[in-house]
Amino acid sequence: MSRYLLRRLLLLVPVLLGVSIVVFLVLHLSPGDPAEIMLGPQATAEDVAGLRAALGLDQPLPIQYAHWMAHVLQGDLGRSIRMRQPVLGEVLTRFRATLLLTVTALLLSTLGGITLGVISATWPHSVVDRLSTLGSIFGASMPSFWLGLVLMVCFSLWLGWLPASGMYGAHGAGSVADLLSHLVLPAVTLAAASMTIIARLTRSTMLDILRQDFVRTARAKGLVERAVVLRHALRNALIPTVTVVGVQAGYLLGGAIFTETVFAWPGVGTLMVQGILARDFPLVQGCVLIVALVFVLFNLAVDLLYAMLDPRIRYE
Amino acid sequence: MRLETWWSGAALAVLVLTAAGTVVLGASSVVPAQPANNLVVGLVAEPVALDPAQVTDLNSNRVGRRVVETLVAFADESTQIVPGLAESWTISKDGLSYTFKLRRGITFHDGTPFNAQAVKFSIERQFNPEHPANKLGKYPFAAYFFGNVQAVEVMDDSTVRFILKEPRASFLAILTAGAASIVSPTAALKSGQDYAANPVGTGPFKFATWDRGQRVVLDKNPSYWRFPVKVDRVIFRPITEDQARLTELLTGALDLIVGTPPDFVAQLENHPKVTLHRQVGAHVWYLGFNNSKKPFDDKRVRQALNYAVNKDAIVRDVLKGTGAVSKGPVLPGTWGDDATLKPFPYDPERAKKLLADAGLASGFSTTLWVPESGSGMQSPVAMSTVIQSNLKAVGVNVSLQTMEWGTFLAKLRTKEQDMFALSWMAGSEDPDLVMYPLLHSSQWTPSGPNRAMYKNTRFDEMLAQARLTTDQGKRAELYREAQRLLHDDPPWIFIDHEVQTAAHSKRVQGFKLHPSFDLRVETISLK
Repeated sequence: MSRYLLRRLLLLVPVLLGVSIVVFLVLHLSPGDPAEIMLGPQATAEDVAGLRAALGLDQPLPIQYAHWMAHVLQGDLGRSIRMRQPVLGEVLTRFRATLLLTVTALLLSTLGGITLGVISATWPHSVVDRLSTLGSIFGASMPSFWLGLVLMVCFSLWLGWLPASGMYGAHGAGSVADLLSHLVLPAVTLAAASMTIIARLTRSTMLDILRQDFVRTARAKGLVERAVVLRHALRNALIPTVTVVGVQAGYLLGGAIFTETVFAWPGVGTLMVQGILARDFPLVQGCVLIVALVFVLFNLAVDLLYAMLDPRIRYE
Repeated sequence: MRLETWWSGAALAVLVLTAAGTVVLGASSVVPAQPANNLVVGLVAEPVALDPAQVTDLNSNRVGRRVVETLVAFADESTQIVPGLAESWTISKDGLSYTFKLRRGITFHDGTPFNAQAVKFSIERQFNPEHPANKLGKYPFAAYFFGNVQAVEVMDDSTVRFILKEPRASFLAILTAGAASIVSPTAALKSGQDYAANPVGTGPFKFATWDRGQRVVLDKNPSYWRFPVKVDRVIFRPITEDQARLTELLTGALDLIVGTPPDFVAQLENHPKVTLHRQVGAHVWYLGFNNSKKPFDDKRVRQALNYAVNKDAIVRDVLKGTGAVSKGPVLPGTWGDDATLKPFPYDPERAKKLLADAGLASGFSTTLWVPESGSGMQSPVAMSTVIQSNLKAVGVNVSLQTMEWGTFLAKLRTKEQDMFALSWMAGSEDPDLVMYPLLHSSQWTPSGPNRAMYKNTRFDEMLAQARLTTDQGKRAELYREAQRLLHDDPPWIFIDHEVQTAAHSKRVQGFKLHPSFDLRVETISLK
């Protein structure tokens, strides 16, 4: 197990190296020049050339990459071009907010999705099942930013129950209640699509399993239905669900960009959007590296979870 | 782990979340009421940095300029120049030296004294490569504003003299710009590269905290020299999404929003809870021709296209009234404006006749470069699409090429443009700050901002003459004549001047938008 873990952790190195090369190339080869954007229309050609030189952007790409990588290896992600603040500190501060949002959404979508799935499978074609099917079609086809706006208009503007944006009230660091009230709308918005996917998957796997012989045996033994469904069927149905949850974790990290922008959530998504618009290379590269690292670790955690759920799975 | 345990754990978590949600929903009264004398402002984007000498965007300036001030300033409701940190000044006869008498007894927020040394420090750090603070930041206006400054001399503690390389009558207007703000040298050197996130000046508010992505907090400067500030604290919150900003205003979480999206203006106009402000800003949105290229080298073609575009429709239907039709680069109603000139009327028949006179009766094809967005660009693609269809109606086939802002600016330096959509925020009504850079032939791209490559010898002479003239009345006459000339020999299609908008709750009193796009929240008191 520990050898497997070590091997997986070592594999992180080539993965992150690949990510760094791809993000570097995509950014530097796409149109747009940070010096032009930063200096604006009043800048002279000399101003722009001077700033490009000061930022090292006049160097050949391989040299720029090597220079950046040399610093990254020493734990220095550089300074943001537009904000002139160290990238690492900036990204880490923002990442906490993203992580809170993503984990809450993942929790919501997993628990909500499995619960809905189990209920739908246990009582197929019931009202709950039909509603959940209908909800799934909506959930999967609604763009998250649109759902976010609808929820905002309903719960903030009309009902006045929840704040429309930000992470805390404007006047102070705020209490946990303050934080939670700000978290509800973005977390629900972000979780909606994943929840419906998990619910549909759990339902179909559960329906399959509930028809299998060992379930009939369990019932014949005289086990109560609750134990049959939860202890025997659900446990077996969870393996594909966990896989999907792992995939959804990555999807949620990515989807957080839209949700954060809609709700002015101070996460790494809003930071990245600003960075991309300004072609702030070090900032975007830093954001992507950290998000990639977390994503890979998330997947590793999911793989380890398999072994916990299914004793037959062993990692050597 | 037994599955039941896992499942009960999950059920418990759901329960806790639901409970927490309920508590939160019911707890809105538990959250402390907002301090009565704090003002919360919603911005369209987060400030980039708070040192106005290091930024080019409006949002950074709107916050940063509350902390620092300039030697001379704009009057409350116009961009006429009034004393700021300098109480008086004299200009030498040759227009080359400007001597400022500074106000005494003013201190920076860090307690250090404001004096002539600080003025020298703040300006010279931007253009003098040997200056100790020069490498601590990037100063985008160094060449544009201060390239003409030979030296800043300290005469005594409260007298400072600027020596210019050549005379320039708009130099005082330049000294009102954010980049000319006076910073605390002690603080700038102490914070080094981080100074732009910890600004220290003499302004009505002092910097308190900046929670990244969430808010910038400024506290009142209790010993502000101009007047007692009535608000205890201003909190600026970046909220990019229009609907979110509007919702927060209508639910009372924000007191003031600036930059109301055109589609929401009508909704806010008669809303019982808010007051809407409009104000034409020192800005111009234009469609530049490449005046050095055929067929645009013929002024009849350029006149024709001015007649062909329906500016009223653009302002009414695309901008929903957040623009004022333009007749030239100078802001209407200001001292340099020629009130006798009227915008080109929408007259497609006349356009066709002029094109026929120029030998283009069957029209021609051309391209129009448009940025997707950009500072001061309003709704570039929608506006350009209307222009494209207007031009098609007179036989001019325009193919639109949209591009990203930075690419667009870089591409304009190639001089390959036919037509391009661009705007200019002079931030001041002084005609020199818009006509000279955009239209004088010495300012041709790539080294200057004259991207239309306009050259008119008579116009050049008048502008140069106006720079040497310190008497504002005489300058105004020269600029009026220059505008009449531009009307006859138009370098662009004149489109609009942006009407800035802001909306605030009824508890906000004493707020006014400023034509320079500055956001002067220090005049506000709260009911």
